[in-house]
Amino acid sequence: MASEPVLSIRNLVKRFGGLVAVNDVSLDVFPGEVVALLGDNGAGKSTLIKCVSGVHSPTGGHIIFEGEEVHFSRPIEARDHGIETIYQDLALANNLDVPGNVFLGREVEKSYLGGLLRPLDNKFMLAQTASALASLHAEIPSLEVPIESLSGGQRQAVAIARAVYWQARLMIMDEPTNNLGVPEQHKVLDLIRALRDRGVPVILISHTLPEVFAVSDRLVVMHRGRKVTEKKVGDTNSEEIVQYMVGALDDTRTPAPVA
Amino acid sequence: MDQQVTQPVTKAGFSAPKTRTAGDRLILSLIHVWAWVFLAALILAFVVSVPLVSGSSVSFFTVRNSQNILVAITPILLLGLGQTFVIISGGIDLSVGWVMSWASVLSALALREAYNAGLPLPLAVAVGFGAAVVGGGMVGLFNGVIIAKLKVPPFIVTLGTSFIVRGMALLFSENTTVIGLPRGVRDYGNEALMYFVRGEGGGFYFLDKPELTGEMLRRMDRIITYPVLLTALVVAVAIFVLRRTKFGRHTYAIGGNREAAIRAGVPVERHIIMLYVMSAATAGIAGFLSMLRFTAGSAVIGDPLLLSSIAAVIIGGVSLFGGSGSVVGTIIGSLIIAVLTTGLVMLNVPSFYQFIVVGAVVILAVLIDQSRGIIKDRIETR
Amino acid sequence: MKNISKIGVVAALAAVLSTGVASAQEDQITIGFLPGVVDPFYQVMEIGVEAAVADLGFKLVTQIPPTWGVEVQTPILDAMVARGDIDYLVIAPTDKDQMVGPLLLALETGIKVITVDTFLGDGDYINGPVTFPISYIGSDNVEGGRISARGLAKAIGGTGKVYINSTNPNVSSVEGRAIGFNEVMDNEFPDIEVIGLDFNLDDMNTAVQQTAATLERVPDLVGVFGTNVFSAQGAGTAVVNAGLGGVVSVVAYDATQFAIEQLREGVVSLVLAQKPFDMGYMAVQFAAADAKGVTSLPRRVQTGFAIIDIENVDDPEVARFIYQVPN
Repeated sequence: MASEPVLSIRNLVKRFGGLVAVNDVSLDVFPGEVVALLGDNGAGKSTLIKCVSGVHSPTGGHIIFEGEEVHFSRPIEARDHGIETIYQDLALANNLDVPGNVFLGREVEKSYLGGLLRPLDNKFMLAQTASALASLHAEIPSLEVPIESLSGGQRQAVAIARAVYWQARLMIMDEPTNNLGVPEQHKVLDLIRALRDRGVPVILISHTLPEVFAVSDRLVVMHRGRKVTEKKVGDTNSEEIVQYMVGALDDTRTPAPVA
Repeated sequence: MDQQVTQPVTKAGFSAPKTRTAGDRLILSLIHVWAWVFLAALILAFVVSVPLVSGSSVSFFTVRNSQNILVAITPILLLGLGQTFVIISGGIDLSVGWVMSWASVLSALALREAYNAGLPLPLAVAVGFGAAVVGGGMVGLFNGVIIAKLKVPPFIVTLGTSFIVRGMALLFSENTTVIGLPRGVRDYGNEALMYFVRGEGGGFYFLDKPELTGEMLRRMDRIITYPVLLTALVVAVAIFVLRRTKFGRHTYAIGGNREAAIRAGVPVERHIIMLYVMSAATAGIAGFLSMLRFTAGSAVIGDPLLLSSIAAVIIGGVSLFGGSGSVVGTIIGSLIIAVLTTGLVMLNVPSFYQFIVVGAVVILAVLIDQSRGIIKDRIETR
Repeated sequence: MKNISKIGVVAALAAVLSTGVASAQEDQITIGFLPGVVDPFYQVMEIGVEAAVADLGFKLVTQIPPTWGVEVQTPILDAMVARGDIDYLVIAPTDKDQMVGPLLLALETGIKVITVDTFLGDGDYINGPVTFPISYIGSDNVEGGRISARGLAKAIGGTGKVYINSTNPNVSSVEGRAIGFNEVMDNEFPDIEVIGLDFNLDDMNTAVQQTAATLERVPDLVGVFGTNVFSAQGAGTAVVNAGLGGVVSVVAYDATQFAIEQLREGVVSLVLAQKPFDMGYMAVQFAAADAKGVTSLPRRVQTGFAIIDIENVDDPEVARFIYQVPN
């Protein structure tokens, strides 16, 4: 594992008027690791990742991506740097088929008559999509149907395959197992592991602790905008993490009250 | 081939396998092709009933009638083409009817001026074509910029521009009608690629109009008139663009999930502007063709066609919520409307029945479109 | 409260202004001209009105509605009444019943009404339901239909099948034309059969399609009556494309320059000219006569027709009935 972090967040602050949503948070993400971002509703985790993915501009602090300080003003800029975000709504066009979604905005064309006729190279895109899904061990019966006929987990796989194909260098996943059945949840966790094995770091936002412990390398807990702890997954347990999430424990306070 | 199509598409994947009964499959495939079936049934009904009602010497199924219907669908189809793209993207263009009138006036003026300035007729006609496309396209640019950049709902913007354009068409026209076009313009709008002379001494003429008089002339059918030819070319381009190009793919994506398209880096604003330019430009071509056909620019020619063209698009299966539909569907929709008009006249039925049937078919089309979703849901939750 | 007082002030101001205008021109008669819609027919009528106004030294206020309809014509009428300076209104009412009310209000302010082209009530201002207008000056649409029928019958040699293509149902002008046409064909030409009537709803494309389909249904058709220029043009286009130019005669109502152009192109074979110039000129003369105290003005004047075909179109005696509108 390389020692240089892929993403380095330094003293990040985001205010909305008088409300401090993210308060002086620092965080590193290294290649090939899954970092879980935990916290109650309103803890500031969504705001934090929206600063990284270019939805919000931070009020203060620095974001260093692959050694360079970055300032994203739009999501597409973050994407151009290789930061892919998979939202709860997945941001897929349900009326397009699987390759249509994987290649959306970056379609591959053939060229005839000196570029006058440029039909889509559907064959190529289909083959590439199939292999991207295969590399994630994701199975989708038919790639050439509108994805509205796919299950939630299959759609999740499409979104991840898209990020993988376009060589995401950091993947942010916001509640990826929400609204999925148990077998589907397991499949998505397998996808996250497959990503990690390819060396793509993942920031995972989740409420489901068993799932977080199953797949993450490190856990970061936020409470009321602040980062209250950061633990390796082997050094902690669900009970302790819950204490941090509800604010009973806080590493930034000294000394921590002992229950 | 057939087997593949009818095989259940769902295999074991992420979720439990879904089952579709033979009945479901039949219903689903019927839903898919109902417009074709309806059109075929309609034609069959007229083929059978016209000789029964109007006498055995009268036939619906003739070369001439087929050509009459093709000519009749050209304006509806051209107005519906751009509209198909616009509605698939989740918008609507209410200005096409008036843009057609405006383009017809503008192209008549341009053609006349060009000819009077000494240009040979074919070039003057080309100038008229350019004026119609550019003049129409400008309206579309105006629509598109206000819709995409200023985020005003397309319904309102295009309603507004339709009034503006209507006013401009009336102002620019000379008492609603621009006349004084050179002789020979009529031929561009009414002559054909091929001629077929029925019966004795007849024959087939390609790119060569036979010199006939009197009774022989009555037996001559024009096959593929120039307006039909031009429309077919435009339709072919539209089918290619929608099905096979990035532009078409993006049109579907914007209608399916605009937010997703934006996040995926699709230039959504620019794309929407181009869609409205396209819609107005095809309406402009419709105006140009009607100018040729009637050898006059008319400030009122397109007004009655707007609703017919939208009806054709809806019958063709384009969802008003965006995201689905095809050009071929719009062709079927236009054909249903044109076949109805011609057939009812041949039956000597008051043409108002046409509206009742078209209205019913529009509602039926939407119902069928909805039932598609309901049946799918039913299968999935089984 | 504030709004009401504002409106009051505006109204008072308008009243002062309008009376000021009216008193300044007491000695001169002012004619208001309000035709049905912007089109060549009414524009020729306007030329007639203007000529008479110039000849008589009157003042003229003209407003032309952009589209046909009561809802468009009434606000314009109200605005003209509000000016307060109009003595005589020359109007083509867009509806024979619905325009009665608004015109009665104009009458109350002292404006006298002359109707041209179209009438109020049943057009009988002596015994009919509406009697307040001075006169109705126009050409009888039913008579126009009769003349069209005779013209067409002559062109087709008094025998065969004919067809009518019209715009909309329940529009008195085109309806009257069709009635007159049918009447003559029934009574005077037993060998001519009127095989049907279609409404194209003001859509020239539909007129073509309907006529083309009719030619298929009735291959031995010999004549078409287009109840206005556009219906005739659509019908004529279908006829020429079926190779029947010259075989099937097409009659067009109204001698616009477009209709004449189509006559020369062979798309239509007969054009029926009304006399809108006469209507306009005569209406202003009637106003002048009424102002001088003439009491025996005819309550209904028919201005008649001229039939134009390819033979006489260049004859100056006939050509002067073509609606010449300067652009």
